[in-house]
Amino acid sequence: MTKLLEVNNLHTRFKVRNGYLHAVNGVSFSLDKGEMLGVVGESGCGKSVSMMSLIRLLPPAAQITEGEVFIDGEDITNASVSRVNAIRGSKVGMIFQDPMTSLNPFMKIGDQIIEGIVYHKKIARADALSQAAKYLKMVGISNAEHRLGEYPHQLSGGMRQRVMIAMALLNEPSLVIADEPTTALDVTIQAQIVELVKGLREKLNMSIIWITHDLSLLAGMVDRIMVMYGGYIVEEAVIDDIYKSPLHPYTIGLLKSIPSLKTEAGSRLPSIPGAPPNLFTPPTGCPFSPRCTYKVDRCQSEVPALAAVPGAGGDRPHRVACWVDMRGRGVEQ
Amino acid sequence: MGRYILNRLVRWIPSVFILLLLVYALVFFGAGDPIKLIFLQAPGDVAYDPARIDAIREAAGLNRPFLLQFWDYVLNVAQGNFGNSLVSGRSVNAMISAAVPVTLKIGLTAIVLVSVVGILLGVIAALNQNKWLDNLIVGFALVIWGIPVFVAGPLITVFLVLVLDFDVPYGWGGLFSTKVIVPLLVIGLNPMALIIRQARAGVLEVLSEDYVRTARAKGIPNYQVVMRHIMRPVLTPVVSQIGLLVIATLNNSILIEKVFGLPGLGRMTETAIKSSDYPVIMAIVLIFSIVVMASNLLVDISYPLLDPRAAAKKTEDE
Amino acid sequence: MTDQALLLPQEEKQFSLAKDAFIRLVANRLAIVGMVLVVFLFFVAIFGPYLTPYDFLSQDLMSRNQAPSWLHWFGTDDLGRDIMSRVIYGSRTAVIVGFSTVSFSLVIGIFLGALGGYFGGKIDAFIVWLIDITMSIPSLLLVIVINVSLKPPLVNWMDAQYVATGNQIYRNTIWVDFVLVFGSLALIKWPKAARIIRGQILSIRNKNYVVAAEALGVPTSRIVRRYVIPNAIGPIIVYISAALGEAMVLESSFSFLGVGVRPPIPSWGNMISDGLRIWQMYPHVLAAPAAVLAIVTIAFSFLGDGLNDALNPRQWK
Repeated sequence: MTKLLEVNNLHTRFKVRNGYLHAVNGVSFSLDKGEMLGVVGESGCGKSVSMMSLIRLLPPAAQITEGEVFIDGEDITNASVSRVNAIRGSKVGMIFQDPMTSLNPFMKIGDQIIEGIVYHKKIARADALSQAAKYLKMVGISNAEHRLGEYPHQLSGGMRQRVMIAMALLNEPSLVIADEPTTALDVTIQAQIVELVKGLREKLNMSIIWITHDLSLLAGMVDRIMVMYGGYIVEEAVIDDIYKSPLHPYTIGLLKSIPSLKTEAGSRLPSIPGAPPNLFTPPTGCPFSPRCTYKVDRCQSEVPALAAVPGAGGDRPHRVACWVDMRGRGVEQ
Repeated sequence: MGRYILNRLVRWIPSVFILLLLVYALVFFGAGDPIKLIFLQAPGDVAYDPARIDAIREAAGLNRPFLLQFWDYVLNVAQGNFGNSLVSGRSVNAMISAAVPVTLKIGLTAIVLVSVVGILLGVIAALNQNKWLDNLIVGFALVIWGIPVFVAGPLITVFLVLVLDFDVPYGWGGLFSTKVIVPLLVIGLNPMALIIRQARAGVLEVLSEDYVRTARAKGIPNYQVVMRHIMRPVLTPVVSQIGLLVIATLNNSILIEKVFGLPGLGRMTETAIKSSDYPVIMAIVLIFSIVVMASNLLVDISYPLLDPRAAAKKTEDE
Repeated sequence: MTDQALLLPQEEKQFSLAKDAFIRLVANRLAIVGMVLVVFLFFVAIFGPYLTPYDFLSQDLMSRNQAPSWLHWFGTDDLGRDIMSRVIYGSRTAVIVGFSTVSFSLVIGIFLGALGGYFGGKIDAFIVWLIDITMSIPSLLLVIVINVSLKPPLVNWMDAQYVATGNQIYRNTIWVDFVLVFGSLALIKWPKAARIIRGQILSIRNKNYVVAAEALGVPTSRIVRRYVIPNAIGPIIVYISAALGEAMVLESSFSFLGVGVRPPIPSWGNMISDGLRIWQMYPHVLAAPAAVLAIVTIAFSFLGDGLNDALNPRQWK
C-alpha cells in the first residue's frame, strides 16, 4: 500500500545576501495514513522549513534544490503550480504558529474559513458557511453561526487557533501539518488545544505532523517522533523508543533537560552547552559534534548517515544518525 | 460617527479662523494700501494725491482699526460676500462660481485617475519586486516626482502636439473634450508618484504578513490571494496619501492652468497674486484651506470603513 | 574549526550601522547617479560663477536669442545674455535657497518636535495641533501670500535704512528676496522635521531598553546621545536630502510665478518663466534651465530614495 507521504533526500536552501543558508539537508522520511508524527528540534533546525517544503509553501528567497516529495504517490516537487494549489487545502491542511497574525484582520471569520472549500469544491457560499459552522462547533466554539460574521480581533488567541484548526479541517484533508500550533498560547489553552486535536484525530482518522520544540508536549499524543538538528534528521522512532531508549546524544540531551516531578528541588537543570549551528557555512561532519560530549574523531569529518539501528527490524525501524553506539547510555524518563 | 465628525469640525473652525486672521493681517499690515496700489497702477501714476487718497479711504472705511475691518470681513464672508476684485471690480463671488467648476472637474478627475493608475502600477511593481518591471516603475515614479509640473507641462505638450499630432490643449472645452487630456495628464503625473510609492510599499509589507501565507496554504490561486487578501490592507495607507494628493493637485493647478488657458481657480490665483488683488487672494486662501481640511476629514472618516480594527477602536473611543 | 562552528553567525563580521548602510547605498546604482549629480551641483554652485566665460548680467543686444553654438554653449536669451552662465549662477541661487531653507526648517522643526516629544501633555498637544494646521494649509498659496505681503514693507524699510546709513540698495533688495523666500519655505517645511524628531523621541522613550537605562540611573543627556540621536539620524538624513530637492523645486515654482527671486538675478524658475513666453520660436531658451532643473530634482529623488532604502532596510523577500 502506498504510503500517504514519502520524502526522499529533500534539500532546501535560502538565498541570502552573500550566499546561501542551508536549511534542510537531505531529509527523508515517510508517513502512513492515520499516523501522527511529532517533529522536534530547536529554532532553526529546519523542522518548519522541511514541512513547508512538502507543499512548496516557501518564501521567494527559498528553493528546493534536491529531492522529491510524494503525496499519495504523486510527485509534488515537480508538479505544476495549479496542481500544487489543488493539493494544498484539499489534501493537505496547515495550522500555523501564531493565531494572532495568521488570520486576515480585514476579513470576517466566515469568509476566511470557507475560502478554500469554495474554490476547491465549488460549493455554494451558503452551504460552505453551514459546513463551517459545523466545524466550528466541532472545535469547541460556541455560538458558531454568530462567530462567522465576526472579525479576528474580536476573538481571543485560543479561539483564533481553534478557528485555524477548523479552517484546516474543513476541506477534509488526508494530512494536517501543524507548525507549533500551541507555542504562542498560554499553558492552559495549550492543554485544551492538544486535547482537541487528539479527539479530532480519532474522530476523523487523519494523519498529522506536529512540529514543536517541546519534546514533553508530544508524550501521550503522537505515534512516532522525529528529531531534527542543523537541517538533518538525527533520530526517528516510535514514541516509546524515543523516550525509553534514545540513541542520539542530542535526543538524550533534550530528554535530560525536561524537568520532571522527580527532579530534586534546588538542583541545576541540565542544558546542552554550545550554540546553534551555522547554517551559512555548515561545518563538515556531524552538525551536532561541536556540542556533543560523546564525540569521536570521525564525527568531525563525516556526516553520519541516518540508518536503522542494528538489530531493529520492521517496516519503519528506529533510525539514528550517529557514529557512536549510544545504546544503554540513554536516560530513563 | 456623527459625533466624531462634529468633533473634528469643531477643531477645524479655529484653525480656519486663525488662518484667515493671519492672512488678513499679512495683507493689511504688509503690502500696504489697496487704494494707493490702485492709483499707482493707474496710467501715469500722477494721480498720487495724498488728500484724495485719504478721502477715498475714509469713505471706504479703510481708516478704521485693523480688528474692526477684519470683523467686518468675517461677517461679510459668513454671509457669503467676498467683496469685489480690486482689479476688475467684479464680485469675487461671481468670479469664484465661474472658476470653481473647472478646477473641481479637472481636479477630481485627475485624483480618481491618478489613484487608480497609481495603485495598479504600485501593485504590479511590488509583485515583481527587484525585477526589471519593478525597477522601471520605481524609476518612472522617481522621475515624475522630480520634474516640476511647469517643466513637464510644456515638454509634454510639445511632444504630444508636434510629434503625435494631438489637438493644441488651450482653453476649456468641458470635461469630455480632447483638449482636457494633456492638462489632466500634466496635473496628475506629478502626484501619481506618491500613490505608486505608497501602494508599492503597502503591498510589500502585506506580502510578508502571516495571513498571506495562510491564504496561500489554502491553495487558492495567486490572483485571488492578491485581490482578496492584499488589496484591502493596502487601501488604508494609500488613502492616507489622498490629503497630500489633493494639496499637490491644487498646487499644480495654480502653476499650470495659465499655460493651458484653463479658466479655473488656479489661473485666478496666479493673476490675483501678480496684481495683488487682495479680496480675491483672501477668498482663494479660504477656499483652498477648506478643501484641504475637508479632504483630510474625509480621509479620517474612511479609516474605520476600510479597517475593521480601526472601527473597533473608534467605537471604544466614542 | 570547532570555533568556527561555535561562533554565532552575527559574531563573525561586525558591521556598524553606518558602514552597513553605506554598503547598501553604494550598491544602489540609481542612488550613486543621484549622488554624483548632487555633488556636481554643489561644485558648480560654489565654483561655477568664477569659471563662467560671461558675466550673467551682461547683455549683448546684438546677439539675442541665439541657438547654442561654440560661443554660447546653451545659447543666449532675448536680452543677449549667455544662458549657460545664467544657469550656472542659477545653481548658486538654488543651492543657497535649498540649504538655508533646510537649515531653518531643521532648527525650528527639531526644536518644536523635541519640545513636544519630551514634555508631552498640553505642550505636545499644542505642537501637534500646530503641525497639523501648518501641514493642511495649501503651502504654495501661503508662501506666496507671505512673500507678496511682506515684501513691500520690507523693501520700504530697507530703503529707509539706506537713506540712513548708505549701504548699497542693490544688494539689499536681493537679500530681501532671498530671506523672504527661504524664510517662508522654512515655515512650511518645518512640520515634517518636527514630526520625525517628535516621533523618534516618543517611540524611543517607551522602548524597553530606554526604560531600563533610566531605571539604572543613566542620565538623560546620555540617553539622548546614545539612543535618541543614533536612531533619529537616519530619518533626518533622508529628510534633508528630500527637503533639499523639494526646496529647490519650490523656489523655482515661486520664481516661475514671479514671486521670490526676481530677474535679473537668475533662478532656474524665472528663466523658465521667461522661456515659456517665447519657446515656440526659440526653444533653447526654455530647454536649458528646464532640463537642468529636471535633472537636479531627479538626482535628489534618486539619492533620497537610495538613502531611504539604505537606512531603513526591509526584508529581502
